[in-house]
Amino acid sequence: MSPSRLEHPFGQLIDRDTPVTFEFEGETVQGYAGDNVASALIGEGRWLMSRSFKYHRPRGPLSLAGHDANTLIQTPTAANRLAEDLMAKDQGTLSGQNYLGSLKFDYYSLLDRLGRFLPVGFYYRAFFKPRGMWRFWENVIRNAAGLGVANLEATPRYTDKQYLFCDVAVIGAGPAGLNAALTAATGGAEVLLVDEQELLGGALTYHRFTLEDDSRAQTLKALSNAVANHDKIRVLTGATCNAWFSDHYLPVFQGDRLYKVRAKTCVLATGSSEQPVVFRNNDLPGIVLCSGLERLMMHHGVCPEGPAVILAGNDDAYLTAITAAEAGLSIAGVVDLRSEPDDLALPAALSELGITLYQSATVYEAHSDKSGAQLGAVTIYPIESEGKVGVTPTHLECRLLAMSAGFMPAYQLACHGGAKLAYHDDKSEFTLTELPEGMHLAGSVNSTHDLKAVCADGRNAGRGALRALALETDNDETVQCERHVNHPWPIFKHPKGREFVDFDEDLQIKDIINSARLGYRDIQLVKRYSTVGMGPSQGRHSALTTARLIADATERTVTETGVTTARPPVKPESLGVLAGRRFHPIKKTPMDQRHLALGAHMIPAGSWRRPAFYGALDHRAANIAAEAHAVRNGVGMIDVSTLGGIELRGPDAAEFMNRIYTYGFLKQPVGKTRYAALANEQGVIIDDGVAARLAEDHFYVTATTTGVDRVYSEMLRWNAQWRLDLDIAQVTSAYSAVNVAGPFSRDVLEQAGCNIELSSESFPYLACREGMVAGIPARLMRVGFVGELGFELHVPSLMAQTLWDKLMVAGEPFNIKPFGVETQRLLRLEKGHIIIGQDTDGMSHPGEVGLAWAINRKKAFFVGRRSVDILMSQPLKRQLVGFTLSPSAPKPEEGHLVLRDGDIVGTVTSCEYSPTLAKVIGLAYVHPDDAQPDSEVTIRTADGVCVQAPIATLPFYDPGNARQQL
Amino acid sequence: MPLGLLKYGRGSDYPFERQPDLPGPRELKKHYDVVIIGGGGHGVATAYYLAKYHGITNVAVLEKAYLGGGNTARNTAVIRSNYLTPEGVRFYSASVKLYENLANEFDFNIMYSQRGQLTLAHTDATVRAFRQRAEVNKHFGGRTEMIDRQSIAELVPCLNLDPAQLPVLAGLWHQDGATARHDAVAWGYARGATQRGVELHQLTEVTGIESAAGQVTGVVTNRGKIACGTVIQAVAGHSAVMSQKAGFPLPIVAYPLQAMVTLPVKPFLNPLVSSSALHCYVQQTSRGEIVIGGGSDPYPLYNSRASLPLKESLIASAVDMFPFLSEMRLLRQWAGITDMTADYSPIMGLSPLKNYYLDAGWGTWGFKATPICGKTMAELVASGGEVPTLIQPFTLERFDHFQQVNEMGATAASH
Amino acid sequence: MKIMQCPLNGPRNISEFVYGGQVEPMPDPQQCSDKDWASYVFYDNNAIGIVREWWQHAPSSYWFIAERHNASDDILRTYDPGELFSERVDFTTGENEP
Repeated sequence: MSPSRLEHPFGQLIDRDTPVTFEFEGETVQGYAGDNVASALIGEGRWLMSRSFKYHRPRGPLSLAGHDANTLIQTPTAANRLAEDLMAKDQGTLSGQNYLGSLKFDYYSLLDRLGRFLPVGFYYRAFFKPRGMWRFWENVIRNAAGLGVANLEATPRYTDKQYLFCDVAVIGAGPAGLNAALTAATGGAEVLLVDEQELLGGALTYHRFTLEDDSRAQTLKALSNAVANHDKIRVLTGATCNAWFSDHYLPVFQGDRLYKVRAKTCVLATGSSEQPVVFRNNDLPGIVLCSGLERLMMHHGVCPEGPAVILAGNDDAYLTAITAAEAGLSIAGVVDLRSEPDDLALPAALSELGITLYQSATVYEAHSDKSGAQLGAVTIYPIESEGKVGVTPTHLECRLLAMSAGFMPAYQLACHGGAKLAYHDDKSEFTLTELPEGMHLAGSVNSTHDLKAVCADGRNAGRGALRALALETDNDETVQCERHVNHPWPIFKHPKGREFVDFDEDLQIKDIINSARLGYRDIQLVKRYSTVGMGPSQGRHSALTTARLIADATERTVTETGVTTARPPVKPESLGVLAGRRFHPIKKTPMDQRHLALGAHMIPAGSWRRPAFYGALDHRAANIAAEAHAVRNGVGMIDVSTLGGIELRGPDAAEFMNRIYTYGFLKQPVGKTRYAALANEQGVIIDDGVAARLAEDHFYVTATTTGVDRVYSEMLRWNAQWRLDLDIAQVTSAYSAVNVAGPFSRDVLEQAGCNIELSSESFPYLACREGMVAGIPARLMRVGFVGELGFELHVPSLMAQTLWDKLMVAGEPFNIKPFGVETQRLLRLEKGHIIIGQDTDGMSHPGEVGLAWAINRKKAFFVGRRSVDILMSQPLKRQLVGFTLSPSAPKPEEGHLVLRDGDIVGTVTSCEYSPTLAKVIGLAYVHPDDAQPDSEVTIRTADGVCVQAPIATLPFYDPGNARQQL
Repeated sequence: MPLGLLKYGRGSDYPFERQPDLPGPRELKKHYDVVIIGGGGHGVATAYYLAKYHGITNVAVLEKAYLGGGNTARNTAVIRSNYLTPEGVRFYSASVKLYENLANEFDFNIMYSQRGQLTLAHTDATVRAFRQRAEVNKHFGGRTEMIDRQSIAELVPCLNLDPAQLPVLAGLWHQDGATARHDAVAWGYARGATQRGVELHQLTEVTGIESAAGQVTGVVTNRGKIACGTVIQAVAGHSAVMSQKAGFPLPIVAYPLQAMVTLPVKPFLNPLVSSSALHCYVQQTSRGEIVIGGGSDPYPLYNSRASLPLKESLIASAVDMFPFLSEMRLLRQWAGITDMTADYSPIMGLSPLKNYYLDAGWGTWGFKATPICGKTMAELVASGGEVPTLIQPFTLERFDHFQQVNEMGATAASH
Repeated sequence: MKIMQCPLNGPRNISEFVYGGQVEPMPDPQQCSDKDWASYVFYDNNAIGIVREWWQHAPSSYWFIAERHNASDDILRTYDPGELFSERVDFTTGENEP
């Protein structure tokens, strides 16, 4: 049978014709479409939803708005979901969390009995003696804490993000927000209106603002219709604006989508959080905020089981009682903390409904029913003075208690923008000040509570937004609100404690006060010591009480005491939605498909991917050896398209090159290349490449794969200052390149067809030429990185794959073999060439790494010049040298240490077995005294085995450099 | 239940020791032997070691806001010594050693938890760098080693070893890696120092430094002037601002560093896990929250505001590492201000102003150094200006001579 | 997220820009003392206040100069570097190369 609900106009959100079911804690729960899990559970009389963080006390909803941690439950995929945020119709199997046993019988609830032994900060006081015990206790504590269980098998769902732009973002669609949005839109602004609820209207949808309640329905209808029909207003409901970031950048979460909203100005009409009264056992399931009861009735048509007691710190709670009574809820009494309400008609209205009124009284203690997990009764005492009660108790049986001690502005978004909170003793209220530019407040977040005033305040905020946009608007209305909604001291300490200030963290009055007494007096220290406000609701219901208690305990004003800094997000937000869809773009060279077809083992190189070698990873060494053999004895080809390429053209191109790179370039002949090393301003070598002078006023220079963006960018920045006459363009992606290397490389090019004379005489080592290869326009450079006769061919990327194919065909007679970057690393090591970033680190200056020859210290300037001078004038601290080892010795790995007299003096930066030389060769930083070829150094290899490695003269291979000059 | 808690069960209103952990506000004296500017972990640690080991107790710690409220409060409490340079490893290892016994020394549980730190390598270059770090660490007695994919999977079964395009190649497993309750470290030191006579003055801002003949003579505060013989500045996040009051600049650029935390869940992650390529680290606190952090903000700023782009990229990386985190909920994001030096090492010791000592340049590596900083700075003060060997490499003068201690590679995303 | 006014491309999210260090006059690298040079290399203007900085709009590689408050993060002005560097810079001392 479907549960019974209140008739219309109650239950605006539910569809009574569509019953839905789900499982909670192994039992079937029935509700209606439109119900959330919390309303459906309460509709069936189930209040118990969770166990508290520290004492494992039974907990049920407090706010019914998803604003407290009492409704955190477990779904099959996720921990810590708020029951109000989960729609009943979408759920399968749910359960409570943070218990040992079941939600109803939690063995950990023993901790509640032991609570007196676990005072605030108890974990600082014990568990560490004798030394090492913490390891054990930490596990115990970790397991007892922690709320829900993460499902480690969960995989990211599809989520996405969208940018939105508007003139005015209005956050909150209550009466203030609706008015602000209408005023701004009517004044010509594009408005985005955002609200957490599914319904427009905010408190208008559930709260009775006056006894007569005559105009509310009309106001709501008129406002929401006008908003819905206004073509300049876009509405996002069921959407949470979770932060305010600089320049009105607002993340709005709606389901699985994140909207990143850029507004020109914003209106915060975020309302306020109703505050609980602090008394013993105020956390029992069945104790809710008045607004929570109103939401249950008005939104979901749920009339919880009575009798109910209403605990009033303001007139609003009377109105809740009246609404509830009219709906048929039995009211056992209204208990007013004050001597009388502001509106003197209210007591008469109660008595007309037969409701007993207790004035100047408070609920001093709540009692559970037999289950131990639900409110059964309350004890009421007269109030004698602030926080003190008299001696004559009244006992009332009840199943429900709704309370309102006042309101705290929903200050979070404003405070993200730097706004401050100030406390007003006359109204016992915090108000926001020092708003950032372009932020406007309206409604109860602006301490306006009377409906008429709220609406006017909203219109004024709309006008403020228009003014900020330099749009025309009329003068502000006068907003008058004399209403007092906050009780100054709704805090009642009980000798037995358990008066909860912070429900998330199970903190009682004494915990807060004791923190201050222990010397943690600053509100931030109180937070850190007691953990108040650190839980999921981020102090929404505890900050006001904490500020009052600490102000009292430390004899400061509440303003001086303050509240802790509000940090984003406002409400816990999904990591999956924040992460969004994952894009992992990689760059592929035009030959990528060819590499894959050839079985290349691909590795990342910056944002590119490149072949490490061809063939299976299992045969890495053999594959590399075969490729190296081909280059040394036949011909090989490597795709070097990832090399950076920069074009410099103009009358000052040579002058510019001369300033950027360490070597001299002014007199570099056209048709020649030069090694180009780049230092940073600290004198550290950070990149290198080859500079080809294609014309008097035209250089083409390569840079490392990962360094080129930075090199290009720095070039532009330098010339923004130097104002030399040249144009600098990055052409990395425009050109692709291969290096054909090996004794037969010339033959391959000739076979492929080349209109450039390739003989050593007309195209010598280090020369560069432009021409056609295999019918493709190419820039050719004779470079010697791998130490053989070789040609680097740079061609337009569109034609690079064709070039590759044609060269492969042309190379067939010579058994051309493609080789990968790891083979290239071996080959260049044999030649003693360093790789910037592998053989250099963030401190390597040219003198240390054998690049002194590449420095022209006669020219007037190059970047880093003076630093290089300073560094090279100092005694060397280390030196990069070559070493060799026999293949039978333990092979050092890159990163192993060079030791001298037991001290670290350097490290191995490159080390490979060279099949060509049949020995292990490597580069290492060593002590300068050991850098001579007749020295030996100690290298500590794996498992601490030291080897003595003789220093070798570089290059290891072909010391006369004859082969590359063939 | 440990016996230590039984005394709290007597049910009185005020169940703790008679003496509070921290004394209440009091008047400033006219003169102190030593003034420490900055009541963060480093400042109170220095005061503690001065009082406890050198008998110097006429000391005032001046804090402009509240105890431990700067980067001590904001950092993510990574304790490790697996740095790259011998100078760095020696220094941070000494700090780890002190941390291990700190709770018992304080009689205050700082929840020091040696869970080990795992850093992931996704490229050959990182593998090389990690091997060097492992070797340097082992050289100085640290427990650090390279481990392969299989060992990583055994250590952290829920880790995704193949995040798109960046498969994990190997890991640097630092068994000495640990975490602790950061606030408690500052409180423990402050408690120990004030119990020995040191004065802690919160809400006391230093607005000027007074000197005569090249020697510091006193400080000016919002509560009046104080004369003193020695000053230590330990104001991470504002070091260069403070040094300017003393009349000299520091080679520091301040960047915000953001971190975030999820709602708590039951324990599933023991080690601290970080990835250099994804610029992200992930750990689980003893409360069960997942702490996520990464690299600094992209431009300098003396401001601890939070930002969305950094949150999005950091969370995306965390989800790459642990895909199931996508179902978790983020509770809070915050920022601290980090004083970055060019070589990612601190600036400690003497300054151009005599008897004015520096404890600065703490970037993202300050928390883990807290004990050893306190100890060495106290030695520096007690010896009348003899710089302890351990901190000699970190002298301010090194920049004038281009003699940096380069820890950039060992610091990037692991803190 | 902040908005930055690119002199070339107009207002953009600051995530489109790359910070490029402070605008700092270079001392004469041939004539200045080591200490002055070290100061140029390692020391920034890190007093709290308005700083002059290089910024690059990454998608267009365009460098410009921004005046920004380093605590409030307010960007007061952005402009083309030509406003500051209008003359060709030359380094005259020293011989020429081989």
